[in-house]
Amino acid sequence: MRWNIAWHVTGLILLCVGLCMSLPLLCGVYYADGSVAPLFLSLCVTVLAGAFLMFFFRRPNPLVINHREGMVIVALAWATCGVFGALPFVLGGFPSFTDAVFESVSGFTTTGASILSNIEALPKGLLFWRSLTHWLGGMGIIVLTIAILPFLGVGGMQLFKAEVPGPVADKLQPRIKDTAMTLWKVYVLFTAVQTILLLTGGMDFFDGLCHAFGTMATGGFSTRNTSVAAYDSAYIDYVISVFMIVAGMNFALHFQLFRGRPLALWRDPECRFFVAVIGVITGVITVYTHGANYSSWSEALRFSLFQVASIITTTGFATADYELWAPLTQGLLLLCMFVGGCAGSTAGGIKCMRVMLLINHAYRELFRLVHPRAVVQVKFGQKLVRDEVLNSILGFFILFVILFVLSGLALTAMGVDVLTAFSAVVACIGNVGPGLGEVGPVDNYGGLPWLSKWVLTFCMLLGRLEIYTILVLFIPEFWRK
Amino acid sequence: MKAIIIGAGEVGFYVAQRLASEQKDVVVIDRNPAVLQRILDHMDVQVLEGSGCSPLVLGEAGIQKANMLLAVTDSDEINLMACTFANMLAPGLTKLARIRNDEYIAYAEHLSREIGIGIIVNPEVEVVRTIEHMLSAPGAVDISDLAGGRIKLAGTWITEANPLAGTRLMDLRGKVGDRRMIVAAIVRNDKVIVPSGADEIRRGDLVYFVCEDTELQPVFSFLGNRPGRKSNVLIIGGGNIGLRLARSLEKKPLHVKLMDKNPERCTILANELGRTVVLNGDGTDQEALQEENIGQMDVIVTMTGNEESNILSSLLAKKLGTPMAITRLNKIAYMPLVRAIGLEHIVSPRMSAVNSIFKHVRKGGVLSTVAIKDQAEAMEALVSQDSSLVGQPLKDLNFPMGVLVLCIMRQDSVLIPSGNDVILSGDRFIILSLTESIPDVERMLSRVRGRS
Repeated sequence: MRWNIAWHVTGLILLCVGLCMSLPLLCGVYYADGSVAPLFLSLCVTVLAGAFLMFFFRRPNPLVINHREGMVIVALAWATCGVFGALPFVLGGFPSFTDAVFESVSGFTTTGASILSNIEALPKGLLFWRSLTHWLGGMGIIVLTIAILPFLGVGGMQLFKAEVPGPVADKLQPRIKDTAMTLWKVYVLFTAVQTILLLTGGMDFFDGLCHAFGTMATGGFSTRNTSVAAYDSAYIDYVISVFMIVAGMNFALHFQLFRGRPLALWRDPECRFFVAVIGVITGVITVYTHGANYSSWSEALRFSLFQVASIITTTGFATADYELWAPLTQGLLLLCMFVGGCAGSTAGGIKCMRVMLLINHAYRELFRLVHPRAVVQVKFGQKLVRDEVLNSILGFFILFVILFVLSGLALTAMGVDVLTAFSAVVACIGNVGPGLGEVGPVDNYGGLPWLSKWVLTFCMLLGRLEIYTILVLFIPEFWRK
Repeated sequence: MKAIIIGAGEVGFYVAQRLASEQKDVVVIDRNPAVLQRILDHMDVQVLEGSGCSPLVLGEAGIQKANMLLAVTDSDEINLMACTFANMLAPGLTKLARIRNDEYIAYAEHLSREIGIGIIVNPEVEVVRTIEHMLSAPGAVDISDLAGGRIKLAGTWITEANPLAGTRLMDLRGKVGDRRMIVAAIVRNDKVIVPSGADEIRRGDLVYFVCEDTELQPVFSFLGNRPGRKSNVLIIGGGNIGLRLARSLEKKPLHVKLMDKNPERCTILANELGRTVVLNGDGTDQEALQEENIGQMDVIVTMTGNEESNILSSLLAKKLGTPMAITRLNKIAYMPLVRAIGLEHIVSPRMSAVNSIFKHVRKGGVLSTVAIKDQAEAMEALVSQDSSLVGQPLKDLNFPMGVLVLCIMRQDSVLIPSGNDVILSGDRFIILSLTESIPDVERMLSRVRGRS
């Protein structure tokens, strides 16, 4: 473990994030709304801190990062970005440091859980920073750094693996820098297209861009108190629904689209599973809410699809209070929180690929009971899944469940009621945002005890970095020489 | 430039590593996920699990956009098959196949004409040649041919007794007199230095120099390595290389013994060979070696396919009194270690294969290349008529950092250039470059006049 490398690269990433603060600063200057001072101060502090780390911890040349250092760097970078990203909120008058860090980590991890009850009261510069943290964290601050900086060559792959969601991280291009660049290009393109579509739906540029950031990153921060419901437009609901689903799909497949293979999405078993789950659950909820909550089928479909897409892609926008819906629909949405999007997307949750393989694996075990001599392999599409990948997925699932139970218990110990506690934990580990009970779609996290906010902040980081990257740091073996 | 490499074995690994370190786009295809993982951990390339001779896999690797296909698996058939399919999918592509079987090599020209496959002649021939060089110039730990053998690049350790120790390069001329040698590179603490006049040769350095074939003997005897009588040679391991070597050495006035473990193989060897004494025995067995008077041998050459036993046999022979041991080593990672245990003469078929691949990879009229410690490369390049290098003095050519023009071959003469010399069309010259400057050098070499 060479700490100088870890701190140097962390400093570098911090510097990039600091420079990104200039965008909300420009926005603040444009609207002249009192966010200039906190943003400018935060920018200076973050950039200086980054430069300081880079200057005091030199990197060897050529920079080679091993597997272990890769994980430390990614964890360290995310934690420091979470803290420094909270500076504008601290200086901008958030009630406490805890709340500011919660909001910032919630932004970077694309959770979208907020402690604010009156969002519209916040200056536009800070609102823009909230949305921008989503957008940076969605595709990944480290992937962005790899795309910009040339020298992260071999080490870049170690960082890439530790940050990109999903059990396997594939290179799209021979070089890691080009791979990261390609992903970001696709991401930027989709964001631009969505912004334009939202503008034609009647949003102003500021709201359009912020909502596109929140959608493509599957984040969920809105600029309105009532989230997307504030616009009350079927067109906007559908545009956002579609783009949430797009953001929940594997970006490597979107890239195939531009390579002239439009069928790649359809041929991918994970993508088909994802769409099928959305279709079935939306159908059931539409039937349940028709009549009981909505008078027309078209309304029932519109609201069901939006909530399902929002929850399964772990975005967390809301156009309806699903806590008023039938219990089964809430149960299904809770299931969606666990499932999440596809591997290689910006979504959180367990991920469709893992769910599919877990089901396959469980079926294989049952099959073996019937045919003890059978040789059965777990397959994904046409491809054989190696046992080490399967074991890693099983391990992930077990850790996910353990963390869910322990964090939930911790929250109840702090006096939070059971439904709120456990749904808040899923919503945070899964990077969803809204849960059930006191943290439902029309409520916020502001009322929770302060210690529970730290637990949930930790859960968000765990979820975004897929548990292993963070948790491995807590194993004594990791630190042994 | 994009290159697809089929086969992630030793050869594939090192070719991929060198190409990736030169900022080229590399895709490596192999069927074994474990070796691919090793590649991913070490270099910035893309890997693809699958068979390299499957057209589907080749398509997935992006063969349409590739500039070069290197088929370097251990199987000749897979290599040829991969190149054949590649030819159908992307006819304009440069294709190289690593071939070891003599029967295919006989058809190299056909393959090149009919389906445009470049053949990388099996490295065994190169290895045998290198060993012969080592026998004739025993002070050289590394010796390779450039310009078809007319120019030699040789490396030698600078010991206490070496007359060059402590000399600055600008004073070299006074020391060596009229022996024409040019210091190409100095390896110090495993780092390659491209020297300037102010650099000093120190004790413990490995110095690489370039000289003409005919000058090699005088230079080495000047350096204190008198060509001792090398009349008794023991070769251990009667595989492909061992057999070739014995066949070639028995034509010289040498007593050659060849030892192999396998009795059936020994029968074949005895049939194939003439004057060579074929022995059946284990080269790592001290008694077997003593029985053959190992102490009286001048050279032991260990050529079995098992490198650990090669190292063991060489060490054993040295301990028992053989002055010189030449060891075959395939794992390139071992190379820095063997010097530490006292083995100086190393030959590596895989390294030879990597070198012969690179002469095809290089652009801009490069005829041959020799790598020095993976950090630098000596390249022999032909200057074409319309090259932008023609007609300008060397000092005006603005070569990048870490690049040195070692010599110019014009018709029958070899020039040691100074900054005022001018390159003419039709010249061949030898240029040394650090790995990081190679892309720039390639660009310079392939630049055409009038379009700079």
